Amino acid sequence: MNRWERWGWTLAALPAVLVLLVTFGLPLAQSLAASFVRDGRPTLENYALVYRLYRQDVLYTLGVAAAGVLLTFACGIHLAGYFRLRAWPWVEFLLKVPLFVPFVVTGHAMRVFLQPSGTLSLALGALGLVAPGTRLGLGEGWLGLVLALTWKHLALVVLLLVGAFRAVDDSYLEAAQGFGAGYLRQTWAVLVPMSATPLALACVLTLTSMLGSFSIPLLMSRGSGPQMLMIDLYYRFGQHGDFGVASALGVISYVLASGAVYAYLRSVAR
Amino acid sequence: MWWTRGALVVVVWVVALVGLGAAQSRATLQVAIAADVNVVEAHNNYLGVAFARNNPGVTVHAVGTGTGEAASRAVYTKIKAQADAGRRPWDLDVALVSMRYAAQMVRERLLYRFVPQMQFGRYVVGPDTERAFGVEVKGYVVPMFKNQIAIAYNPTFVQRPPRSFAELEAWVRANPRRFGYNGIKGGVSGIGFVMAWVYYKTGRYELLTQGPYDRKHDPIIRQALEQLREFNRNVVLTSGNAGTLDALNRGEIWMGAVWVDQLVAWKNEGRMNPDITPVLIAPGLPIYPLYLVVPREAANRDWGVRYVDFVANPQIQAKVIVEQFGWYPGIDPDRVMPLVSPQARALLFKGVTPQDLARYSLQMPLGEYYDAILLAYEEIVR
Repeated sequence: MNRWERWGWTLAALPAVLVLLVTFGLPLAQSLAASFVRDGRPTLENYALVYRLYRQDVLYTLGVAAAGVLLTFACGIHLAGYFRLRAWPWVEFLLKVPLFVPFVVTGHAMRVFLQPSGTLSLALGALGLVAPGTRLGLGEGWLGLVLALTWKHLALVVLLLVGAFRAVDDSYLEAAQGFGAGYLRQTWAVLVPMSATPLALACVLTLTSMLGSFSIPLLMSRGSGPQMLMIDLYYRFGQHGDFGVASALGVISYVLASGAVYAYLRSVAR
Repeated sequence: MWWTRGALVVVVWVVALVGLGAAQSRATLQVAIAADVNVVEAHNNYLGVAFARNNPGVTVHAVGTGTGEAASRAVYTKIKAQADAGRRPWDLDVALVSMRYAAQMVRERLLYRFVPQMQFGRYVVGPDTERAFGVEVKGYVVPMFKNQIAIAYNPTFVQRPPRSFAELEAWVRANPRRFGYNGIKGGVSGIGFVMAWVYYKTGRYELLTQGPYDRKHDPIIRQALEQLREFNRNVVLTSGNAGTLDALNRGEIWMGAVWVDQLVAWKNEGRMNPDITPVLIAPGLPIYPLYLVVPREAANRDWGVRYVDFVANPQIQAKVIVEQFGWYPGIDPDRVMPLVSPQARALLFKGVTPQDLARYSLQMPLGEYYDAILLAYEEIVR
């Protein structure tokens, strides 16, 4: 690339970089600064309050997001492997439906489905799998949240993984089949290792999205116990107008998400 | 020349149309509603239409900013931003905000003192129109309606409802996980229940609502909340007021702390078991008015005052606020209730009588105590 080309590309990229700086960089810097200010003076008080009130929620958010990612990929890898080896367009289309369902609709649907007197409890009771009148409270705890987040993110993960798996040359799979490898073996021994980078990217995207999820936890959450961080953040500024602690919670969320991005960049750089 | 005559005709038409337009649209009142969609509907479909009919050329444009305290905060943020920027006039003419943010806006001199100019200003009575969260709000606020937090129960399962917090405590011990409320993050009905619990356990209602604020009282608040943590072990914490009503309707819980207006509205709409009945228990639960306010530099301030005056008209309060929407009147009930139909009156006071309201309607605490209670709740109860 010569000097003129470099200048040309720099100029072409400049508007996008400026938009990024103004819409993301500036608010990030502002919230970082606000997280260290309380009553107009510099302090660590906001972080102390986060530690005092929300340290359990930080761990809870990480736990829910990690469990959600594990479950999403446990299902997604097998489904994507299946669709790579045996094309089934209708089912593949059905699986993409959650992509077009808004988060808030997912939250409401899952609430109706999983709540104590919800569709799941009634259906299992009608089938005789649980005693009639049994109220499964799946939607009230972390498990319901993990199921809802998994359902919502599975479509995106399958979409990304099917694309990555289809980029793997048929000759590798044929060679594996020649050695008697079945569907599971081909998926785990050939497709997954050869798609490590897109898989890591999908993992980071899912984790950051789950860490920042708001509507689904808001609709499904109870009035007690640990909460997802975005609910706490909304509560701090919505109820109390406390931008200091809300910013500190935001900064902690950035750090959690940055950890995943850093791991991804390390894996790509290697 | 034909074209000069033609141009003249066009100019005359344009001037006439502009003049007509000016005469027709004397003002468009911008009304921000920090409340649920039914309140926005009350302004857009009933109050605004009737006001416009009485005042040709004036239109009322009401928009909702959401629900809960966050909605009132959105109104406050908008007005404050315009004040801080030195911009005049401000683009909101009337706002309906919570007690908490109305008090904050009065303290920060963002509101216009308009009640003395109102024809029906003399009917704006009650302690909540004088002080809110420890701030002198007299003259700045007109409650559109009042909303009471009460304990709703299902008579199928609860034959003898509790009459006091002590009885409620005993009932919850005997019937674990059959009572619900929505904590402090799911809306003000849950917050109100927590405040009432602190009043009950500390016995310091006067101190908490009238001050003075002193941190030396923190231990009694914390002790009350430690007792609430124990109480909550046998309680269902729902996701919001609608969640509590939903759980009551499904029979998942048999009693719950709810807003009376939403209970009545859901019953009117056929969405709620009509047997569910509210009851006010001793020493009481908070009443939480939504205030109509006029921003200090509102573009159509005079029309804004006239609109609030219109809403405070006893006839309008009786027909729209009480009969149509099932709310308690915002102004002096002695002026409004004689104008209300017997059926509407019976529906409104089923379970919670005017005498109950007089005895057991409590105020929210001072802002400092309110914040201290919420903070301690987050730390102790969760």
